[in-house]
Amino acid sequence: MSPRTSTVGSRLPLVDAAEKVSGRGQFIEDFHFQGMVHARCVRSIHPFAEILSVDFSEAEKVPGFVCSLAPGEPGTARKFGVLPISQDETALPAPYALYSGAVIAAVVCEDEVSARKAASLVKVEYKVLKPVLRPKAALEKTDTPLHEVTVGGTNIHKVVEQEFGEVDSAFSDAEVIKKAEFVFHGVNHGFTEPIGCVAVPEPNGRLSLYSATQVPHYLHMALAKVLEEPMHRIRVYKPLVGGGFGGKSDPFPHEMVASLLARKCGRPVRLMFDRDEVFLNNHGRHPTEFKLSVAVSKEGTLSAIDADAEIDGGAWGSFGVVTTYYNGVLTQGPYRMEAFRYAGRRLYTNKPASGAMRGHGAVNARFALETLIDEAALELGLDPFDFRMQNALPSNTTTLNQFRITSNGFTECLEKARRASDWDSKHGKLPTGKGIGLGCGFFISGSALPIHRTRTPMSTVHLKIDMDGGVTIHSMAADIGQGSDTVLAQCVAEAIGIDMGRCRVLARDTDTAPIDLGSYSSRVTFMAGNAALRAGEAIFRKLQRACGRMTGLPAAGFRKGEGETYIHDDDATVRIDFMAALDEALAFNGALIAKGVYHAPKLGGTFKGAGAGLSPSYSYQAFVAQVDVDTETGFVRVENVWAAHDCGKALNLTAVEGQLEGSVHMGIGQALTEEMKYSGGQLINGSFLDYKIPSPLETPEMDIIVVESNDPEGPLGAKECGEGSLAPIIPAIANAIYDAVGVRIHEVPMTPERVLAALDRKAKAEAEAAAQEAN
Amino acid sequence: MRIADLKLHRPSNLAKAVSLAQQCAADGFDWLGGGTDLLCNYKWGLNVQPHLLSLKHIAELQDGGPGSLAAGRTLHAITQDAELAKQFPALVETAKMVASPLIRRTATLGGNLLLDTRCWHFNQTENWREAHGSCLKAEADTCRVVPKPGDICVAAYSGDMAPMLLVLGASIEWVGDNGSRIVPMCEVYREDGIRRFRDKAVTEILTRVILPSASRDWQSAYQKLRLRETIDFPEGGVAVSLRIENNLIAEARVATTAYAPVPLLHESIAEQLVGAPADANDPSWPHRFETLSDAIRKEVRPMKNTSMSPTYRKRMAGVLLKRAIVAALAQ
Repeated sequence: MSPRTSTVGSRLPLVDAAEKVSGRGQFIEDFHFQGMVHARCVRSIHPFAEILSVDFSEAEKVPGFVCSLAPGEPGTARKFGVLPISQDETALPAPYALYSGAVIAAVVCEDEVSARKAASLVKVEYKVLKPVLRPKAALEKTDTPLHEVTVGGTNIHKVVEQEFGEVDSAFSDAEVIKKAEFVFHGVNHGFTEPIGCVAVPEPNGRLSLYSATQVPHYLHMALAKVLEEPMHRIRVYKPLVGGGFGGKSDPFPHEMVASLLARKCGRPVRLMFDRDEVFLNNHGRHPTEFKLSVAVSKEGTLSAIDADAEIDGGAWGSFGVVTTYYNGVLTQGPYRMEAFRYAGRRLYTNKPASGAMRGHGAVNARFALETLIDEAALELGLDPFDFRMQNALPSNTTTLNQFRITSNGFTECLEKARRASDWDSKHGKLPTGKGIGLGCGFFISGSALPIHRTRTPMSTVHLKIDMDGGVTIHSMAADIGQGSDTVLAQCVAEAIGIDMGRCRVLARDTDTAPIDLGSYSSRVTFMAGNAALRAGEAIFRKLQRACGRMTGLPAAGFRKGEGETYIHDDDATVRIDFMAALDEALAFNGALIAKGVYHAPKLGGTFKGAGAGLSPSYSYQAFVAQVDVDTETGFVRVENVWAAHDCGKALNLTAVEGQLEGSVHMGIGQALTEEMKYSGGQLINGSFLDYKIPSPLETPEMDIIVVESNDPEGPLGAKECGEGSLAPIIPAIANAIYDAVGVRIHEVPMTPERVLAALDRKAKAEAEAAAQEAN
Repeated sequence: MRIADLKLHRPSNLAKAVSLAQQCAADGFDWLGGGTDLLCNYKWGLNVQPHLLSLKHIAELQDGGPGSLAAGRTLHAITQDAELAKQFPALVETAKMVASPLIRRTATLGGNLLLDTRCWHFNQTENWREAHGSCLKAEADTCRVVPKPGDICVAAYSGDMAPMLLVLGASIEWVGDNGSRIVPMCEVYREDGIRRFRDKAVTEILTRVILPSASRDWQSAYQKLRLRETIDFPEGGVAVSLRIENNLIAEARVATTAYAPVPLLHESIAEQLVGAPADANDPSWPHRFETLSDAIRKEVRPMKNTSMSPTYRKRMAGVLLKRAIVAALAQ
């Protein structure tokens, strides 16, 4: 009997861990081809300018110069974008450069050093236009809007307005109303591996694009559009990807540029970004001004919220329409409420585009909501945990905006985080300077609607088993380091009843793998996992039939026994080894193949925007942070974090904990130190020295609490754990700062200077109050 | 990223290095210590010279002899030097605060002392400088920080070791065409972010730092302002060294870094410390700290050219000074 141990709920290394830690795994940087040449982008030095001409004459004199690409050349002006409703990007300006640092031309040379030199010699003639740098300026009417489609002659990209229930009466009946204006500065994903791609013209006229991407399928579609080729003439290959966090989830201009150049020169073209170019490509979290009012009854019932978000989209649409909705609709959990109003505007400005980033659209709004809830609870004399318990959304319900709520471990998250953090003996009781705070969260586990309207499944997984007994898993789900390949292997092994070591995941190549929509909206475990499970079950049924033929027993009665065996309900003496069953199955069928697909159920209401935020399931969080605030310097040290997250079922505990720890670390960055700073239209801190990602020394002790609500539709009960877990830590820190030193900070990141300024304001107010009392 | 058009020379001794420097002087060259700062600048096209003269293989730069620290020692080696830690504990502690453990494995003491000045308008890529407008220290003739600076550059000196060596009363040795000369630390730097040294010939090499044995009896400490506890350059730094006699501060030195194009000694602040009680819990200290903080805030003149605002950095100078004094007294 060969061994089989179910991996579900265990701790195991990711399936690609060995190739990564041994240095043998291939990231985009490692792809080299015969005859390969090197491209370098020429970038705009103005935030808004018409490109009048591009002169390559000096660049062409550089030894090893191969070719160039300029605005106006075929394909460079064809519009694309990740969302069908915001197809506003072009490979090169057509004819406007929309931000300082935008790609406006490219050169190709035999080697990288020459390409850099050639790029620096390209002369560009600009007609400089007045840029839109402040989001408020985008609200004004203009003769030169940044894009063809905007709202009413302004630079407003998208307006969302939603209202459910009687908002005004809820506010007029409220005992406590809390309102505030919040400012969130832009943050970047800060993934380790810079963006890059290699475009390879194949001998048969096809084009292969190797790219560090989270969305091979959307990239495939966009390439077909820009290159005006049918999709089957293009192949996208996704190598190992060194982190994405949403920053590799759009088709990008550089991918189009490399492909157009490869077609032009007939040679493989490699285009790698430096770190500053990654920052300029951005697509990070939207800088946001968020106004929020919260109405709470005397009994401490959250009755209504009224929110207004103005989000700075930068130069392009990207995922922005979705972001505009998410800033509102993702406040609809984990609390019940009677009424909800939201107005959101996304604005085009002449800055690097904003887009999707871990916790997409939910993070800034969550900060505002959790901060004001904390204020309201304390004003009513309620413990912040009790308040949230009292207002928790139950399982198996529907929200105001028609989200279907199924599994819900929120109250368990609250109970466990409260106990683990020893909250009751700490909150309001720690010495001045030390404080503890709570932040909660709610996030989608995959978007129930595909980005492109299609009837094809959102995830498809193919399996093949031949006489070697190994299972090949074909999928285009994009493992970007989060471990999705491992999830696929676990699901397949579990469904067939075999050791996971038999599985090999081929999830790299659109030529061999079936379509998967990619890694965004925390969808992969739920959707691709379900498809893998179903494919595995299809194989299992074939093996059941083989067992039936071998024994004469009814096939349906075979189930998975110990080890890699199949046993029968009717006859306890029957025990068939997997390899024997496989041998029988192969004898009749040849290699076993099977397919599993996932379609999200039809969900949601019929009102405008009803599709935004719909998900087959949602994750829940309750995080506690304990901080130490230095009142002389304003420095905040996060000392401990207790992070309780409902992930449905932890398929792999190590991976779930890793996702949660990573989210906490990333959230601390946005909370305290990370901020994209501009001088005019110029990003001023586009390096890892000046963009302050927390170091290990700023990373606290973390107690990761995995809550399992066993989702009825999730694969083996699982749902997301990688995104929702970011948002709660930021308000938890803010609320802990209040507990420590009594100040509310409404601008994020909460840098030492901002904390000190708040302490100064508090001291001044207290001095004035004391003076008044003395009078 | 590869750096273009560069010739790397690897002299094996000081004489050869000086001779190579003379040969390369006309074309332009840089000395290459650990390269942890210089090569980053080169990648951004900042004052790239056609020749790099590596100091790594010069034996004389690895052993400074008794009472001295060789300039070629890595900061990591300094942090691991138990004997040095006994004699000058604050110096070793300061070395631990430079950059990150990984960088300290490569970065040298000499490199840290001669660190190029830094400014947000200078430490940027070529494309950035073209877009934003370059500055005095790079390709242009305008300062982006101060509207009319003359030709003086206000980029900030951001080394951590220099203020500590200043308060320890250290000297350095230059070796060049005309042999060697010893210069006190306080006479090394010139208050200009571009022409950074007084009377230094381009062909001269910093070979060692001489630590006065008398300073072993002083109590010293360094405090550094930075957003992260590793990697970052100082946004402000204060070093303090005190000689205690009969439970009173008998002599004092105070130095700052990152507040000007040079590390600076603050003699008037030091004078105010003389006569103060050596017990930081003495009731006179709160008032003293207030006075001293005000005084140092008046002396430092941070510019708007780093991550934190000048107002904040100025305010923090007082806090850093107070904490450095407390730490030094606690030794």
